[in-house]
Amino acid sequence: MDVRKLLNSRLILVTGKGGTGKTTVSAALGRLLSDRGERTIVAEVDTFRPALTPMLGKKPVYKPSAVAPNLHVCNISWRDALVEWLRGHVPGQRVVRRILDNNLVQTFLDATPGLRETVILSRVVTLLETYDRVVVDMPASGHAISLLGVPNVAIGLMRGGPIRERAEVVLRHLSAPTTALVIVGLPEEMVVNETVELWERLQKEVPTLRRPLVVLNRAALPSLSQDERTLLERLESQSAQTLSPVQQELIRAGRWEATLEQGTADSLIRLDDELGVEVIPVARLGALGGFEGGPARIVQQVASTLARAELAAAQPAHGSAGR
Amino acid sequence: MSTSSEQKHRSAGPPLGTLIGDRKLVVCVGSGGVGKTTTAAAIGLQAAIRGRKVLVLTIDPARRLANSLGLSRFGNDETQIDLSALPEAKGELWAMMLDQQKTFDDLIERIAPDDERRDAILNNRVYRATADNISGSQDYMATEKLYDVVESGRYELVVLDTPPVKNALDFLDAPGRLARFLDKRVMKWFLSPYDKDRVFGRLLTSTSAVVFRLLSHVFGREFLDDLAEYFQHFRDLYDGFRERQEAVVEMFHDRKRTSFLIVCAPNGPSSEVARFFLDELRQRRMPNPGVIVNQRHLTLGRKLNARTELGETLTGLADGLPPAAASSLAARLGAAHRRMLGLSKAEGTIVDSLLQALQPEQKSWQVPRLDDEVNDLAGLARVGACLFDASET
Repeated sequence: MDVRKLLNSRLILVTGKGGTGKTTVSAALGRLLSDRGERTIVAEVDTFRPALTPMLGKKPVYKPSAVAPNLHVCNISWRDALVEWLRGHVPGQRVVRRILDNNLVQTFLDATPGLRETVILSRVVTLLETYDRVVVDMPASGHAISLLGVPNVAIGLMRGGPIRERAEVVLRHLSAPTTALVIVGLPEEMVVNETVELWERLQKEVPTLRRPLVVLNRAALPSLSQDERTLLERLESQSAQTLSPVQQELIRAGRWEATLEQGTADSLIRLDDELGVEVIPVARLGALGGFEGGPARIVQQVASTLARAELAAAQPAHGSAGR
Repeated sequence: MSTSSEQKHRSAGPPLGTLIGDRKLVVCVGSGGVGKTTTAAAIGLQAAIRGRKVLVLTIDPARRLANSLGLSRFGNDETQIDLSALPEAKGELWAMMLDQQKTFDDLIERIAPDDERRDAILNNRVYRATADNISGSQDYMATEKLYDVVESGRYELVVLDTPPVKNALDFLDAPGRLARFLDKRVMKWFLSPYDKDRVFGRLLTSTSAVVFRLLSHVFGREFLDDLAEYFQHFRDLYDGFRERQEAVVEMFHDRKRTSFLIVCAPNGPSSEVARFFLDELRQRRMPNPGVIVNQRHLTLGRKLNARTELGETLTGLADGLPPAAASSLAARLGAAHRRMLGLSKAEGTIVDSLLQALQPEQKSWQVPRLDDEVNDLAGLARVGACLFDASET
């Protein structure tokens, strides 16, 4: 999967370790694709506190709502998805109401293995009928594996019936060449470990998934030269007693920067070695690390990075010089 | 803006040791990626140094942390951590990594009345799928194992590192979820068409009959049969599940035995989750002495001029390097510091606003971001030093 393919995909699933910026990347993809005139929706999955709200400026609810030209958001809540699903599969509103009014049935449906996940994924697939592009802000690693693994489980468990049929349709979509998986990571050892493990486990659960693309957020691209590093090391080997607290703090800042840059370089190497997938580094944003301007601005900046990566990929001869 | 507040936070919060006191259980909750595992291990280590026998129960530790602690990654083995590098340690530190499937299997083993019933359950297809694949069971398994090790009496303190959950409620509700799944009324309703000697009572009303036909249509009859078998196996185990669930909930509420600590990082999403936990724990009346803010970038809080402060020193050290190296490094250090200061201030705003939500009796601790990732005992000891007072016993 390369960035051009990603931006041409109809269904984009975004996951990764918690706290890496999945929602930001999802929102950025939504902005970028809708700006190009593609009718796009960014969907959160049954979340209690939608993280998209500050990024796209509107709290997503089940029913898609517009946040910009061509751009909608929604939150695929399980209960609403179930109601819609039942309405689509059960003739007669009265029966559906009877089902939903019955507490025992509710509890049963809540607890039936795989139903929740199948119904949610089924809704994702339905969105593809209305939108050119569907971007799903998935749950974090472990829960994403459970979610994506369910169609196979359901197919294994059920020998027939609408749920199984729907699970088959969902699985076909998950495995389609027009579907992209994005794993968002950070240039930190623990996060890289989890990114690698996530893909290994996903391959086991859903062998038909296509290779992902990794977005490496908060990357510190190299700025210190070899000479500067050498001098920094000499500075650090000074005895602490000869240095004022102010001097120590400046040196600490230098080490912090050097560590971040080294961490990014190491992460890029490991992701290439161990996953062999394309990685798009998204540089820390702005002089203050992206904190100025708020979430909406960060989303715009990530969108620009993705667009630039696409441009660079389109011109391989100038790709490295263009950075 | 955050200079004074930073100074205040740095010393905020009394040493954690006095708050934990002789608690039997400390539960670390919070969003993913905030250093929960590290915090849990650091708390465990401090308690062990102070002479207690401690188990850290973790879900999915980073590979290197696990390796450096000598943790095997599977099988629920309780592993003793070698503390010989810390001669001052008076107690014992043990660690265990949760194996979901094994925990579930052990549970069935324990509460199944006989081998035949046990094997029937373990081989049921719905059971395999539930234990293995369905989200939420991980949360339940953590609490299940927790009950097991706390009640065993083998440890004076158990520190639990909870699974990262998208919906913060998942974990606190986990004990209830499986029991709800196995709710007697639901099972009775669902199984009534399967019971050969059932009497048509209130339960199989016309509504139920309609619904049941519908479910057969939706799920396929074979799946319902598998599910019925699963339920039938579990029916008699229900009381065992419920007992344990109630015991775990009771343990969570017991202020003398348990403390919940919220762990967060100084960023927007993580502090949102922390705030949510603050509310939830308060509403559920679960004991929560406060919040640990990890990964804080701490600074002196003002702009510094690298050229003035370090120019001469750098020139003196630049032997054999190009003449420009000293001034260019000074500029880099200045830029890096401005970045760090900006980050620190932004974090300060987020943390200040989070700490406003604390009750007067709740405390906070701040752990600076360490230059290296924490992956050995020395690193854990450094984190612990930010939480515990060296003089505490």
